[in-house]
Amino acid sequence: MHTFNVHGVAASSGIAIGKVQVVSNAFLEVQHYKIKKADLDNEKNRLSQAIALVKKDLKNIKKDINQKSSSDFSSFIDIHLMMLEDKNFSFYPQEIIKSEQCNAEWAIKTQLDLVISKFDAIDDPYIKERKLDVTQVAERLIKILLGHQHKKNAQKNPFSTILVAHDISPADALQFKNHNYAAFITEHGGTNSHTAILARGLAIPSIVAVKNARKLIKNNDLVIVDGDSGLAIINPNDQILKEYEYKKNLWEVEYKKLLKIKNVKSTTLNNHVISLMANIEDLGDIKSVLESKAAGVGLFRTEFLFMNRDDLPGEEEQFETYKSIALSMKSKPVVIRTLDSGADKATAADTIQATNPALGLRAIRLCLSHPHFFLIQLKAILRASAFGNIKILIPMLSSLGELKQVKMLIKRAKDNLLSDAINFDKNIEVGGMIEIPAVAINAEAFARDLDFLSIGTNDLIQYTLAIDRTDDSVSHLYNALHPAVLKLISNTINAGKKYGKEVAICGEMAGDPKLTKLLIGMGLTNFSMHPASILAVKKKILESDSSKLKNHAIKLLRLSDAEKIETLIQKINQ
Amino acid sequence: MIKTKVTISNKLGLHARPSSKLAEVCSKFDAEIWIKNDRKKINAKNMMDILMLASGYKSQIEILIDGEDEQAAMKEIKILFTNRFGEES
Repeated sequence: MHTFNVHGVAASSGIAIGKVQVVSNAFLEVQHYKIKKADLDNEKNRLSQAIALVKKDLKNIKKDINQKSSSDFSSFIDIHLMMLEDKNFSFYPQEIIKSEQCNAEWAIKTQLDLVISKFDAIDDPYIKERKLDVTQVAERLIKILLGHQHKKNAQKNPFSTILVAHDISPADALQFKNHNYAAFITEHGGTNSHTAILARGLAIPSIVAVKNARKLIKNNDLVIVDGDSGLAIINPNDQILKEYEYKKNLWEVEYKKLLKIKNVKSTTLNNHVISLMANIEDLGDIKSVLESKAAGVGLFRTEFLFMNRDDLPGEEEQFETYKSIALSMKSKPVVIRTLDSGADKATAADTIQATNPALGLRAIRLCLSHPHFFLIQLKAILRASAFGNIKILIPMLSSLGELKQVKMLIKRAKDNLLSDAINFDKNIEVGGMIEIPAVAINAEAFARDLDFLSIGTNDLIQYTLAIDRTDDSVSHLYNALHPAVLKLISNTINAGKKYGKEVAICGEMAGDPKLTKLLIGMGLTNFSMHPASILAVKKKILESDSSKLKNHAIKLLRLSDAEKIETLIQKINQ
Repeated sequence: MIKTKVTISNKLGLHARPSSKLAEVCSKFDAEIWIKNDRKKINAKNMMDILMLASGYKSQIEILIDGEDEQAAMKEIKILFTNRFGEES
């Protein structure tokens, strides 16, 4: 078989060897396989039966609804029924099965991709939205098809699976947690795109920004992924395969060594305690937090409660989630960040598509523009605070005026609970995310008016350098070690010191072991990261002497040349 | 063959519900029925084709009908448009 290499951006380290599964975003489960000529009629029948079954289901749902009235919903189902009868579902996929000799699921998916691309070209926003209906119909079909998949077609291979996709969105990421992928290769993204962050979080070797990966790499190709160099070798020969199996073993030995320091206290050589906290996205992450021996939850991203759904979670649902997290962390701190949606993370709360979402109505701006909705979240958090050590974190603050409004709303939420005689932590701490350069420059004022600060380095870097970290054409310019970024971080840490307020970093920088020593030198004592990064960072802490590192950091902060900074970092890490 | 021009007068344009209603009505007739705008011409018995024509509010389309029952078909189709598919203007 023809061996070839593809290159991309190294996004998550480690080596993986496995068979490829090429997927598109919406239909992760759909695999492509060839159908024998003799079986083509059977496959076409399977599709017709699935269509008939979905129609039956829809008609039953409609009957059910009609009994409970609401004609809107029932006409919605009529539309789906009509779509099923349309040649886009009833005819073209059958033709695809015949011409491509592929399975029915793949044919539906192929046709759907085509229809979606037509919808994407439509200007009228309302009609464009209808592609969602088409997608839902296709999803129903595919679910039925997958449920009725002939056993003989189900693939089993001795190798682990390597996922090749265009991109992995935060919404997909939630579904990925249940799969055991050996590696990711994506066409889109940079070292700080969601795919990369997700992959590092799951400790899965990954390469991003591999142009045309889905065209070059085929289903079931054997691939070696080297997540440290950004190289993927497709269909390697035996010699290369052996070499990488050896490398893979070495890497795993290193990883096992790390496990030995799991129960070691996180202190520097000169006995400074460094607090290592965990970032989480949902209740399911708690298990890995407890396993990692983190000092608490440094960041709970509540937006993931709001994603992958059409409605908004109510006060009870939110309260139950926050309460469960607080209870399972016992008395350890749990920092709950209020909704940070918009930009790259869309939820049902976002109604309008802004021209520049990263600079638009997102996070606290969105919440302050919908105070009733924000109050629901605040009340849910406050109620949960009676069950543990909860703190509130406000994302994307840009001015003291916003902070004042937030405090007023928190007070109103407290007053509501008081008048209803509901228990909550009356001294709950309120902190702010430092992620807008204006706030980092003016950090002292925020350190004075808040109980703690948390630096979100991903957005801080993006806004400071004007780089969209998800845009692979500029992502190489995204540099955590840019002197301006380091100055902003240092300024924030110093502001916290001056007012005796705790400062944490909860962005990607906190979980990068190459930067641990520098950050300790800059005076940081609180790191919050994905649980999977904690051990590697702890290893660096155990090797650190903060008083010596302080001198290095002072020297480094005087440098204005990014290359010299890079060299000095290497020296610090030696 | 008969033809006529109509202007879309419901606010949301020929979105999913009107498209499916139109296709449903057209399918009752034996005549061949097309809808044409300045870009393309599609078969009006096909709901998704109508939808993907993306005819917005106040846009103009042409209806072409060819077959024995063309007069009856045109009459019913026109009623749909005049009634704005039962939606608000």
